[in-house]
Amino acid sequence: MRRTFTRKREKAEPMELDITSLLDILVILLVFLLKSYNASNLKLDLVKSLAIPDSKARDLGAHAIILQVDKYNNIWVDNKKIGVVSNGAKIDSLYDFLKNKREVASTDGKKKAKSINLVLHKTLPYKAMQGVMHTSALAGYTDFKFIVKGNY
Amino acid sequence: MFKRKKLNKMPKLNLIPILDAIFIFIFFLLMSAQFLDIYEIGSDAPITTTVSQPKPDKEPLNLTLEISKQNVVVKTGLDGKVFKRVKTDNLQALNDALIELKNKHPEENSAILKPNSNYEYHKIVKVIDHTREVLKADVFVTAVDEKKRRYPSKVLFDKIIFETQN
Repeated sequence: MRRTFTRKREKAEPMELDITSLLDILVILLVFLLKSYNASNLKLDLVKSLAIPDSKARDLGAHAIILQVDKYNNIWVDNKKIGVVSNGAKIDSLYDFLKNKREVASTDGKKKAKSINLVLHKTLPYKAMQGVMHTSALAGYTDFKFIVKGNY
Repeated sequence: MFKRKKLNKMPKLNLIPILDAIFIFIFFLLMSAQFLDIYEIGSDAPITTTVSQPKPDKEPLNLTLEISKQNVVVKTGLDGKVFKRVKTDNLQALNDALIELKNKHPEENSAILKPNSNYEYHKIVKVIDHTREVLKADVFVTAVDEKKRRYPSKVLFDKIIFETQN
């Protein structure tokens, strides 16, 4: 009698991965992201040559038109260059742009916004700030929100 | 004869669903992350009116901070009486002076800022920080709510108004 040696195939056990270190990394990442999570709906895309000042303020920003002034006194509205700051006086190019933006918003049936986020370079003199604020107020944006850094 | 004790194998936890949830959570956080910690300081443009208003019973505080390179002059009243003069390198003294004023006028919450034309923005922000709230950990001021009830608070003069006209 011929004896057949048919070896029973061993069931391959599923390979076990040690995921402890992966879990450690994930937990660290999760804690870091949760710590840096900001519930504000303000998304800020800073232009070049602009550093915002530090502050102890802890009020979260809200979505509104964003006006930036860099260290070379260039004015940017929603990342579009509008003109240059003139000290203290009304800035015609900025006024026209803001006025136009406000009119477009009102024809779209949107409620006329009064808020404007001012992102100004930290060494900007007050006379330049004054010009920006004065022009914004004339164009109908009277609710200024100064955007500052919270890492104090 | 020794009987061999059967080792009780610990049941392994199925971590796959929890890992899935953590991954989704991480993606959500990464997508919404903004690594620059940004906040806002609110300020209103001054409102001017030509309509005559009835005279209030109590004279308003009319707190005005005149900021120059060396000093911050704290003025009060309609006649601009000097309340205190502090050095710009010692802003804690300004905070102390404003605590004193807030305790005397708990219903007031606005301050008018008049910085020198060359005064830098980051220094103005520092003055605002010292004007808006009590910075000492264990000190509170009296505040008044809408129903005239008094309560301890850290808020000083949080309504900042800049002089925007030339």
